[in-house]
Amino acid sequence: MGISRRLLLIAFALVCSAPLAIQAEPTELPPQLQPAPGPATGLSDSAGLRATVFGTPPDAMAPLPAKVPLYEINMTLPWRLPVPEILWFDGKLRVWLSAQKKPAPLAIVISGTGSDGNNKTISVLRAALYGAGYHVLTMPSPTFSGFIVSTSSTGVAGDLMQDGHDLYAAMQQIIAHLPRKVRITDIDLLGFSLGGANAAIVKSIDASEGKLKIHRVVMINPPVSLFGSVGRLDRLFAATIGPGETGVELLYRRLYAQIANLYRASDRLQLDQNFILSAAAVTLKTDAEFSQAIALTYRLQLVDMFFIGDLYAKTGAVIDPERQPKVGDSLEDIQRDLRAKPFADYFTKVFAPYYLKRRPEATSASLIAANRLDIIADALRSDGDYYAQTNSNDLILNKRELDWLQDTLGSRIIVYDHGGHLGEIGDRQQVADMLDMLAGRWPRSGQ
Amino acid sequence: MGLLALGGCASQVVSIRSVPAQTPAADSAAAAAANAAAFAEAVAAEAVAAEPAAGSPEVRDGPPAVPLLTPADAPPMYTYDPWERFNRSAYRFNARFDEAIFLPVANTYRRAPRPVRAGVHNFFGNIAEIDSVINYTLQWRLKYGLRSLERLVINSTIGIGGLFDVATKFKLPGTPTGFATTLAKWGMHPGPYLVIPLLGPSTLRDGVGFLADYGAAYGINVAGLYRGNVSWALGPVNAIDQRANIDFRYYSGGSPFEYETIRFLYVRRRLIEDAGLHGKELPKKPAVDAPAGK
Repeated sequence: MGISRRLLLIAFALVCSAPLAIQAEPTELPPQLQPAPGPATGLSDSAGLRATVFGTPPDAMAPLPAKVPLYEINMTLPWRLPVPEILWFDGKLRVWLSAQKKPAPLAIVISGTGSDGNNKTISVLRAALYGAGYHVLTMPSPTFSGFIVSTSSTGVAGDLMQDGHDLYAAMQQIIAHLPRKVRITDIDLLGFSLGGANAAIVKSIDASEGKLKIHRVVMINPPVSLFGSVGRLDRLFAATIGPGETGVELLYRRLYAQIANLYRASDRLQLDQNFILSAAAVTLKTDAEFSQAIALTYRLQLVDMFFIGDLYAKTGAVIDPERQPKVGDSLEDIQRDLRAKPFADYFTKVFAPYYLKRRPEATSASLIAANRLDIIADALRSDGDYYAQTNSNDLILNKRELDWLQDTLGSRIIVYDHGGHLGEIGDRQQVADMLDMLAGRWPRSGQ
Repeated sequence: MGLLALGGCASQVVSIRSVPAQTPAADSAAAAAANAAAFAEAVAAEAVAAEPAAGSPEVRDGPPAVPLLTPADAPPMYTYDPWERFNRSAYRFNARFDEAIFLPVANTYRRAPRPVRAGVHNFFGNIAEIDSVINYTLQWRLKYGLRSLERLVINSTIGIGGLFDVATKFKLPGTPTGFATTLAKWGMHPGPYLVIPLLGPSTLRDGVGFLADYGAAYGINVAGLYRGNVSWALGPVNAIDQRANIDFRYYSGGSPFEYETIRFLYVRRRLIEDAGLHGKELPKKPAVDAPAGK
């Protein structure tokens, strides 16, 4: 992927955002696990941070097919909540299908936090799967704006079970409406990052409801504790960018000056995307800077979900429920406000109030506990059709969580020693292992 | 191909339409090459920027010393947008028009054979070269004006009326400019952000520049193209060619803040380009609270 979508997001971001080397030590990890040097949290190390930003280097990529046909499917779902006027563009669920001409298994891929169903990462998986003979359906994350508005039955995203039920219902609708020429022999699920956890939950729901007969699941870089992972990214943000909007503004000014200086020193006559991305890439040098880029990217992905959740739940965290914004109103101040807020605020001000009201027996602690992959621990342990791929330097995991995944999945997980978070997607080994897992050829004989 | 026919059966509940196939193998190779080239350029620029006074090679129309911007020179994060209400409705109109008409037409056009599309693109690029010659002259950047003139002559003759971009193969890459850049060169600020219906993000200055460029083309009326029997088709074909070459889709990110994001990026990009026009001096420091572009 080279300088990938993540970097685009960063430049996007960044042009909302750069490097202040505020060094801070992570507080949670025991000393032997502290990544050195730099303020990363989780299991990440220096190489992991780089891989997370840059993705798989071009020369390590698996061979991909020359051509992948693509159909865009837009659906209006019967249970959709009323669409707020200012989100008029998000009313339909948009998914993407690449169909084989002959009968074939269907692989459904679920995107990562806040992402849609047709980004760079998912395109690589789509190409690899299509090339291996699958029909491929790519779906947005349940935390993606377009999904929340078009498909969520609550408007408040981030609850594993609730999101799983919404995803499962949407999959049934999509599959029921596929043209009859698409002949499906079997259904498998994949997901990366949060989408990995979503995929596993959907399979567990299907195991009791039986409407799709989902066969195998491959989770790529899944979180174990949703709020644990996002809390880690919040701390990364606080440690590397600093609290709130001041940090973002300093980052922006620094980066603006750097890109402008590189442009002025080049012999370019126009500033195009390639140059902006490259200038940003040249600018990123230290672990602290990579960490900033990662933290900011995630923060920006969460801003939309926070906004929409507050709008639907009328919790008043950033939007006055009595005076909701209309088309034509400026949202800039709300956006700035949200950029400064950690994910913890989404939990305490939108998510928990909303779900506590509807689940009388629940507590904040039980909501957090319900958003861990171990709610389906028994299925993961005993059902041989769950698989996982992850990396020993993935920043969204800590040692305990990685150990838990290995202990629970046994031989059905492979842990690479490189790639950070999602930085191994598309490399030859990852693709080969993923295809073997999906086809039931795992563990390979002799392993 | 069987599914193609189904593209038309859009019902209320679901619409399935074929979109241009992805070409991952070619894309990743092309992207890797483009990234590598741009990255090398950025690295080279970093070396130049690091030693502005050390006799670095002349890269612009001006002395080599390029004073460095500091973070304090960056414009504020707020953008000057006094016409926001109009702009937002124009943005929504553009998004709907694009989704319903412009993008589907451009996607259909993308199915045409690559050489045909390249020919169309080169043809319009060659006509625009006239405007570049004029504006480089007005900007007093004669080196680039001469380059544009050479391109115009070579591509109009050897390139058969501009259908082939032969000049690029002679190491004369296209670097179009326009009246908006001329205004910027002589010190005009971008002014208020402006979303032009059908055209998209702009500023008052860039909008004026666009009108002037069109007026010049109309006035010159090269080969009778602008005031003839088929002139009505010229604008739409040019627009479709341009749209087919822009990889952007309204609200593909689903974000409630897309208007803010695009405005932010557009104005910052223009300001950086403006800063590049004035290699010798730093852009004036913005007043503390003045939003970017004012």
